Amino acid sequence: MRNLLDFIVRFSSWFVFAFYVIASCWLLFDRNPYQHHVWLTSAGSVAAGVYDVSNNVTGYFSLRSINEDLQRRQADLEAEVASLRTQLRSAREALEQDSLARVDSLAQFRFIVATAISNSVTRPYNYITLDKGEAEGLEPEMGVMDQNGVVGVVNVTGKHHARVISLLNPNFRLSCKLRGSDAFGSLVWDGKSPREALLEELPKHTRFHKGDTIITSGYSAMFPEGIPVGTIMGSARGEDDNFFTLRIRLLTDFTALSTVKVISNRDMLEIKEVETDETGNRPGLGM
Amino acid sequence: MAKEILKYILWFAALVAAQVMLFNNLCLFNVAIPLVFIYFIIKLPVTLGVNWVMTLSFLLGLTIDIFSNTQGMNALACTILGALRMPVLHLYFPRDDELSNPSPSSRTLGPAVFMKYLATCVVLYCALFFLIESFTFFNFGLTLMRIAASSALTFVIILAVDTIPGSRR
Repeated sequence: MRNLLDFIVRFSSWFVFAFYVIASCWLLFDRNPYQHHVWLTSAGSVAAGVYDVSNNVTGYFSLRSINEDLQRRQADLEAEVASLRTQLRSAREALEQDSLARVDSLAQFRFIVATAISNSVTRPYNYITLDKGEAEGLEPEMGVMDQNGVVGVVNVTGKHHARVISLLNPNFRLSCKLRGSDAFGSLVWDGKSPREALLEELPKHTRFHKGDTIITSGYSAMFPEGIPVGTIMGSARGEDDNFFTLRIRLLTDFTALSTVKVISNRDMLEIKEVETDETGNRPGLGM
Repeated sequence: MAKEILKYILWFAALVAAQVMLFNNLCLFNVAIPLVFIYFIIKLPVTLGVNWVMTLSFLLGLTIDIFSNTQGMNALACTILGALRMPVLHLYFPRDDELSNPSPSSRTLGPAVFMKYLATCVVLYCALFFLIESFTFFNFGLTLMRIAASSALTFVIILAVDTIPGSRR
């Protein structure tokens, strides 16, 4: 017994060292970001509180460029509203004639405006912290967009804060398609530049041009169809397999992220239930 | 003694705040990220037991991990740096009983010894951190660039921080 105690005291630093290394490896190899505990992420109230304070100061720095983006987006939307209004008018006229019920398919989506209080673009796995949480109606797996395009998906929620998996994170795959075509592929970040990503698994027969716009496909409950994501820069790899891989210039400027919109889908629960198979496993994270 | 402890607590808070609010947002040429918070481990008193050094290092790493969503990467690298700190210092400065002040700085060790000690620790830490980070994200050229550039930037910034009055006494 005495020998054992002597042994432990003599080599205590090795035991302490091993304990801390095992503890950090246990954290390190827990690769599924949906299982991280809220206190070990930036959505915990202490970390988020510090980011709130610093954002109160730095939040003003990029207002000018955000304002420009908003103006441009607003001009686009106004043009769209004008064209929709004329369409609506003609549709209503047609409707009056055969008196069918109108379906408002977008009413299932609601937007919650939030501010990004911390953000990274230089790491291999990037995350964003928002200043809204469960109390404001945020839930894991809600989509996040800003005035330019898709930003990411909510993944850990605290009471008043949430952590978002950025599009700049290989854990996040986004189902996208070409605007004006039904060919779809899967967008994933390759870690090279915060302005570029890859669109993989696009069928070989697809016709595309440099500069074409990529939009969300609407095949998941997170994003409605048609949110802009990026534009095609060119083909990324050899074209000898059955799919194209395209390099995409992202429309969202992740280096100057500020105000974002979280997309709340009224039907998300129902869609999730339908997608869950009988054993309770979800068939992968189809985003 | 209590005053010393308070001083280190303040350093801990100040370095964590500076790292998460300022240095984490800096990234020169897309490769160089300054990891300035390890200055806390570097300047812990040489008389402090190695178990305490490793505990404080682990806590420091974990705090940085929580803020920057890196889940254990900094905790692991900090623990290893905490364990290897004294062997590194003994490479350049074998007689720590001759120190007037137990906290290593360019004043107590002399600029040449301190710079060698600092450079070794910084390179060690950056190598550990970026190798851990690149476990699943393999791009060896980029990782080497990041280690070299981040080490250089971190070294320069810590040397500057070390001249702040109050950091040397």
